Amino acid sequence: MLDANAQETPLVQMSEIYKHFGGVHAVEGVSVDLYPGEVVGVLGHNGAGKSCLMQILSGAMIPNGGEIYVNGQEADLKSPHDAKKFGIETIYQTLALANHLDAAQNLFLGRELKTRFGNLDEARMHTEAQDALRQLNPNFKNLKDPVAKLSGGQRQVIAIARAIYFQAKVLIMDEPTAALGPSETSMVADLTLRLKDEGIGIFLISHDMHDVFDLCDRVMVMNKGRNVGTFHIEDVNKDDILSLIIKGTLPDGWAPRGESK
Amino acid sequence: MSNTNGNTKLRFLPTGSSLHKLSALLTLLLLILAFSFTSPAFLSVNNGLTVLLQTSVIGLLAIGMTLVIITGGIDLSVGSVLALSGVVAGLAIKAGVPVMPAMAFGILAGAFCGFINGLVITKLRITPFVATLGMMMIARGVALQLTGAAPISRLGEAFGQLGNGSFFRIVEMQANGFPKVIFPGIPYPAVLLVVMALIGGFLLQRRQIGRHIFSVGSNEEAARLSGVKVDRTKIWAYTASGALAGLAGMVLMSRLVTVQPNEGVMYELDAIAASVIGGASLMGGVGSISGSMIGAFIIGVLRNGLNMAGTSAFIQQIIIGIVVIGAVYIDQIRNRN
Ligand SMILES: Nc1ncnc2c1ncn2[C@@H]1O[C@H](COP(=O)(O)OP(=O)(O)OP(=O)(O)O)[C@@H](O)[C@H]1O
Ligand SMILES: [Mg+2]
Repeated sequence: MLDANAQETPLVQMSEIYKHFGGVHAVEGVSVDLYPGEVVGVLGHNGAGKSCLMQILSGAMIPNGGEIYVNGQEADLKSPHDAKKFGIETIYQTLALANHLDAAQNLFLGRELKTRFGNLDEARMHTEAQDALRQLNPNFKNLKDPVAKLSGGQRQVIAIARAIYFQAKVLIMDEPTAALGPSETSMVADLTLRLKDEGIGIFLISHDMHDVFDLCDRVMVMNKGRNVGTFHIEDVNKDDILSLIIKGTLPDGWAPRGESK
Repeated sequence: MSNTNGNTKLRFLPTGSSLHKLSALLTLLLLILAFSFTSPAFLSVNNGLTVLLQTSVIGLLAIGMTLVIITGGIDLSVGSVLALSGVVAGLAIKAGVPVMPAMAFGILAGAFCGFINGLVITKLRITPFVATLGMMMIARGVALQLTGAAPISRLGEAFGQLGNGSFFRIVEMQANGFPKVIFPGIPYPAVLLVVMALIGGFLLQRRQIGRHIFSVGSNEEAARLSGVKVDRTKIWAYTASGALAGLAGMVLMSRLVTVQPNEGVMYELDAIAASVIGGASLMGGVGSISGSMIGAFIIGVLRNGLNMAGTSAFIQQIIIGIVVIGAVYIDQIRNRN
């Protein structure tokens, strides 16, 4: 089904990932891969385990079992720091911003720019952050305000800018447009396609079917922690996906709908 | 560009935290004014230096306390660690170690206690309140055990230098053969406090560790996800607090030229009060060294002024307690708006 990319090494390969919290099986033996320049949608109902799976890839959560390969090499991702070293950047569903810090301080948190003497280079961080933010939202103001004072959309823009600023090879977007207005949402869509053209591999978690069909090359559907199917986007339609999300199975008598077979 | 101009203009207006600092500074000035009316001797050079000296110990503790409070923690052990550090230094001197290295041992002992605090908090996941409460008892117990609860005296004149010496002291021999102090000099402890406060402020505002301290207190999970080494940052803060408690111990014991294993009881509360009066938030993510220094001086001036006005130590406690609650209350009202 996925032979189009078979000769390339995948950028990311997650294999048989398990994660449970006490009796809750959040991720149950999920395998998924991602190729350069590809957008893979990760879909599923609330609580299906999408964020857990992605947090395992971003090093924020340690799995109970399974392996992760980056560029064919086994990667032991014990912390977000480790994942960032592999070029894996994440826009977290929770945004992961420190409320008392301003936009630039958040954008560079953990990777501060420094002067020759090792001091914080506030001026450079400020201008770089300003450029990065204005790419996404040309009238981004309040750069010096603590992010607690910003709107949900502005906060989301900071989280997105942070993920792309550091030249990710793999980008995980966990509902990146949940708080955005229509123009910012389309900006993020354009951005996604641009990054894809640059050869970045993207995992996109979204509940928005328009986004999914507009942006994704493949979709992977999770149901109760399991991967219930990975498809080229041309092979499925909205109803197929909804059936997978809700029931965990394809409609009766389903056959690949697209040409790619 | 027009935007940037707008921003710089706006920055002349005090923002939240500098407003708090401003009001704390104003309070300090009002206190000084009030006390100089109630007791004429208050506003003299000599008394000023006394306040400086008295404040230096609380001030040193408050620097470390501020770092810890900004991470969202608290350090209840500093008073006991101060005593233990003094004991270590005193015993070292008694064992024949020269004063300077002995004091270095003392400070190291303080840093070690802080390091243990940090380890217990991050690795055993014990809350800072409980972990440092435990250390408060352990350090005090060790200090009393090592000395049999008896003071260590006859430590030599050199041991008294740090606490009693001063820069630019001018003494003139009079015709009658008695020396006359023309200028009492700037006490070493005051200079030490200024130097440590500047270093602390620099680390907090200009260095990565400071940024990480703020981020950990603001949102620990976000800091972790951003790649901040949260545990290391916390351990750093507690170790610094322990080392500063050790340094404060050296100043205090040196001033007395005697090591008192039961010195420093409840000093942690003064240090916490200084930080909080200076605008630090016990919820973490907010605070500054300059604010805490103002806070330390408010407490120092209050204590000294009330003493000179003949107020009893009990009434002093009551007043300082009210000041702490008042400072936090005013801060809360301001944040709500
Ligand atoms: N830190 C945690 N501790 C305990 N249980 C957790 C934790 N994180 C997630 N879970 C559980 O794991 C399951 C999967 O959660 P996850 O966040 O991955 O869902 P999701 O697919 O991202 O849902 P949503 O669409 O609502 O974001 C849920 O049942 C959730 O309650
Ligand atoms: Mg989620």
